[in-house]
Amino acid sequence: MKLPSRRAQAAIAFVLAVAAFVFWWLSRPDPLPASAIPVHTPDLANGEVVFHAGSCFACHKPKEGAAQGSLPSGGSPFKTPIGVFYPQNLTPDAETGLGRWSEADFVNAMTRGLSPDGRHYFPAFPYMAYRAMRTSDLLDLRAYLMSLPAVKSVAPRHTLPLLPVARRGVGLWKRLAFARAPYAPAAEGSDSWKRGAYLVNAPGHCGECHTPKSLLMVEDLGRYMAGGPHPGGEGKVPSLRGLVERRKYKDAADLVLALQNGEELGYEDLSSGGMGQIQSNLAQLPEPDVRAIADYLVSLK
Amino acid sequence: MSLSKRTLAFSAGFSIVLAGAWGAGLAAEDPAHQRHEAMETVQESFKPLRAIAVKEAPFDAAVVKKNATTILEKLKEAHGLFPEGSGGGDSRAKPEIWSDRAGFDQAMKDAQAAATAMAAVSEEAAFVPAMKTLGGACKGCHDKYRLPKQ
Repeated sequence: MKLPSRRAQAAIAFVLAVAAFVFWWLSRPDPLPASAIPVHTPDLANGEVVFHAGSCFACHKPKEGAAQGSLPSGGSPFKTPIGVFYPQNLTPDAETGLGRWSEADFVNAMTRGLSPDGRHYFPAFPYMAYRAMRTSDLLDLRAYLMSLPAVKSVAPRHTLPLLPVARRGVGLWKRLAFARAPYAPAAEGSDSWKRGAYLVNAPGHCGECHTPKSLLMVEDLGRYMAGGPHPGGEGKVPSLRGLVERRKYKDAADLVLALQNGEELGYEDLSSGGMGQIQSNLAQLPEPDVRAIADYLVSLK
Repeated sequence: MSLSKRTLAFSAGFSIVLAGAWGAGLAAEDPAHQRHEAMETVQESFKPLRAIAVKEAPFDAAVVKKNATTILEKLKEAHGLFPEGSGGGDSRAKPEIWSDRAGFDQAMKDAQAAATAMAAVSEEAAFVPAMKTLGGACKGCHDKYRLPKQ
């Protein structure tokens, strides 16, 4: 077989270089500048509420049997069909945790899915939901995390095929995903309902599992909270629509009890598939917030 | 003609009964089905306990004892119905039951101990803590060893 002519080789190299440049350019990170972060006096108590509302610990827990097992020091595997992710250390350790992160670093991670050194996070970390969070809540959450004892813990590398290219490729996906506005609940409703809508859609990121994804791996809002295949690859995630009409729960008060107690009171649908851990986190919210979540969820028809 | 029709109807009916019995026999021999039935009974027996816990029903030690005893029996029965290779298909059993058999056995024993303790509850003050321990044991095992609904 004859090699292509020198000229053809040059042409191929040129096309590949252009393609690589276009990929690199389109997938570039787009961080918020530090000047965009407002001056804010953090409220640690609210930060803790946000921490539980987001069920941060459910994913950022240490691996089983670790010392200081109640701190979000990361390293526990998060299994998906494409590979295993290892969520990182959220304690303020300077070397392995968030110790050296500025407020802007934290807000960029949570709302733009960017690491302090400008790499894209995979959307297994639900920044698509967190981008709808209030900046004050984000800064309170950061302050709460920084108030925890520091734990030295390095998360293992994700086991994904073609990790560095895939990571950069997330930037392309973000162009599509961020072009869509986050789900906007109706502006009308009781204060409790509005609070619930915020908790469910922004920090709570319930839709990450309960709303099925479209082919582009963004939430299919036509099937908002309608349930679907479990993102972990096995079994199904139930629909959150018509919870009372379908007699899953008697009323909002029944759902409050279920969220606060889960299977400890025999609500067995709140275990398995990761929901047990979410429920344990939600159980630590102040009662009015659990009530707000229930008020919002039972309104989904 | 009428005789052959009757014979036909009879044999058809007989085959249906036979097929039904065969199907039921298969299901009865299938450990995944049997343990599912046992767990359904556990869940049914949990309901009167929950009603007491949320104060929909008054505390009644006899009701507690009866239901906790059923739960204990059915948990023991279910525990013996997880032979190697009985996962997959419609079963919600996770492979971890067999890859981490010691952990699973311990979780099952914890649940049985919690049911035993619940059966012995004679006063109201001890009921809710016993309920949390028992339900917590169910949850601990289900989070680790049970798949989400298929």
